[in-house]
Amino acid sequence: MSKIYRELLTAYARAWVRFKGNLAIKTWVLWEIILPTIFMASVIYAYKNLNAPPIFIGFVVLGTVMMNFWYNVLWGMGDVLYWDKETGKMEAFLITGRSIYMLLMGMALGGMINTGLRSATLLLIGIYIFGAEFRLEAVPNATLIFLLTLASLYCMGIIFSSLHLVYGRKGIKMNEVMGIPISFLSGQFYPINVFPTAVQMVASLLPLTVGLDGVRRALIEGWGIWELSPHIILLTIMTIVFLQIGVRFMNRIIEMGRRDGRLILRWQ
Amino acid sequence: MSSYAIETVDLTRVFRSKDRVTIALDKVNFRVRYGVIHGLLGPNGAGKTTLIRILSTLLLPTSGEAYVYGYDVVREASKVREVINLVSGEDRPGYGLLTTYDNLKYYGMLYGMKGGELEERIRELDELIGLREFMDKELSVLSTGMAKKYSLARGLINKPKILFLDEPTIGLDVENARAIRHLIKNLIEDGVIETILLTSHYMKEVEDLCDKVSIIDRGRIIAEGTVEELKNKVSDEVVYVIHVYSNGKGVDEVLNRLREIEAVSGVKKSATQATGEYVLRIVMEEEDITGILKILERSDLRIKRVDRDEASLEDVFLKLVGRGLDE
Repeated sequence: MSKIYRELLTAYARAWVRFKGNLAIKTWVLWEIILPTIFMASVIYAYKNLNAPPIFIGFVVLGTVMMNFWYNVLWGMGDVLYWDKETGKMEAFLITGRSIYMLLMGMALGGMINTGLRSATLLLIGIYIFGAEFRLEAVPNATLIFLLTLASLYCMGIIFSSLHLVYGRKGIKMNEVMGIPISFLSGQFYPINVFPTAVQMVASLLPLTVGLDGVRRALIEGWGIWELSPHIILLTIMTIVFLQIGVRFMNRIIEMGRRDGRLILRWQ
Repeated sequence: MSSYAIETVDLTRVFRSKDRVTIALDKVNFRVRYGVIHGLLGPNGAGKTTLIRILSTLLLPTSGEAYVYGYDVVREASKVREVINLVSGEDRPGYGLLTTYDNLKYYGMLYGMKGGELEERIRELDELIGLREFMDKELSVLSTGMAKKYSLARGLINKPKILFLDEPTIGLDVENARAIRHLIKNLIEDGVIETILLTSHYMKEVEDLCDKVSIIDRGRIIAEGTVEELKNKVSDEVVYVIHVYSNGKGVDEVLNRLREIEAVSGVKKSATQATGEYVLRIVMEEEDITGILKILERSDLRIKRVDRDEASLEDVFLKLVGRGLDE
């Protein structure tokens, strides 16, 4: 069996665990579908009550869907890796000799599948119950932007994972600190052009903001590939940069791990 | 292939923090032959787990060398990982929401197994260890005994040649601990595993299981040999077991005074909290215990009974270190 195949099997195995573990929580429909739907509905009804243009329903639905992936990266990669370490799974994993990147890829894939199912359901609820309207012909362009956003988000996830391994429980606080401001800056429920230019520029450093804006422009306003090219270039650059930083961080953590025992040190 | 399954040369590991330098391993030299269960006996903090973590490539040594199956643990870590596995008694590595079967499947996949090959391996482990009863139970609901069996199965999933067992029966009741020991013994006798390095601070476990024992204390190997060879180190000593009553005050002070007696090689105490009864185990170079009795009579301790006992592995440790394994 080739080394590459064994590494890919590692990613598959971790994704399978993530997917199966999620379904094992019997109340997943409540947490994954019903509660986010109620939250999404409350914002939609607020806009409707204010007689906002129908376009805003689409904004809210897409914002809710994309935000799910962000939380999946925050909570699903860094935290999971941290708890793997705390419960002895990291030791058992490191002894297998498999690449930690394949473990992370598996976590990301498993998370993407879980979040994808949840997001698809929310999207359908948005379309069929709340009447969100999207341009079907823009789906390929929106998919391209969406995939690039996922790539850059999960590369960011490698950075979070390495920070979690270094800072331990403080990393969980970091998630809490980052959750709300990024939700605010990404324009989950509104277009970011409501912000002053300086805030818009800061917000544009986040892949979620760029991706969300691109998907909305494609699906709601019907922008073509040429008009979306700044989004595509920016997301591609972000993916490359985050990947470089993430790999550098993680390699350093792995080196420190064997030198100082950090990858197996518990309860820090 | 190297002459030894495990070999270390002046292996040293130092942990440095802001305000402290801890020498966890201090120029450890030891060898483990192929085909044996080798015990590493020592109190908590002696360096057992650090040694196992270096040998299993999880931690780098500060200096010195270590070889597992002939491979250097620093330069050939990936080759070492192909022939080893580690079972830590304090953990149940796996996913609580998944069943025993699913967890074994996961770890099997990490070792490149899949399909029929993986099914077959899990079936073999079931036959070997007896997992059927809880194969379909979630890991989070397994009893401690079941979890230990699962951990052992996980440690065998890749058919390792060398298995590291770190305190494999910690936290188990007598019956379950005996069952796990029986399983471990059979692993070598049935040829499932070539060599086992087992750490423990339970004398009984080491006496029952190990062909050879290394006693480690404060990062140094202080004695080595078979259980009988080690016991011979105290064959000329006399072991007294003295039951005393105390309100708890002054017991340690009395122990220190006993240790000052020239003929006393080592003293340890164990307590029965509910009754206030303490059992003092004293290893002596001579039979005369007049000096000991005098010290006890002058203290607040009330002597209940004085017995002589056979020398055990624990007394070897007492003689070499001067205190008990659990102190």
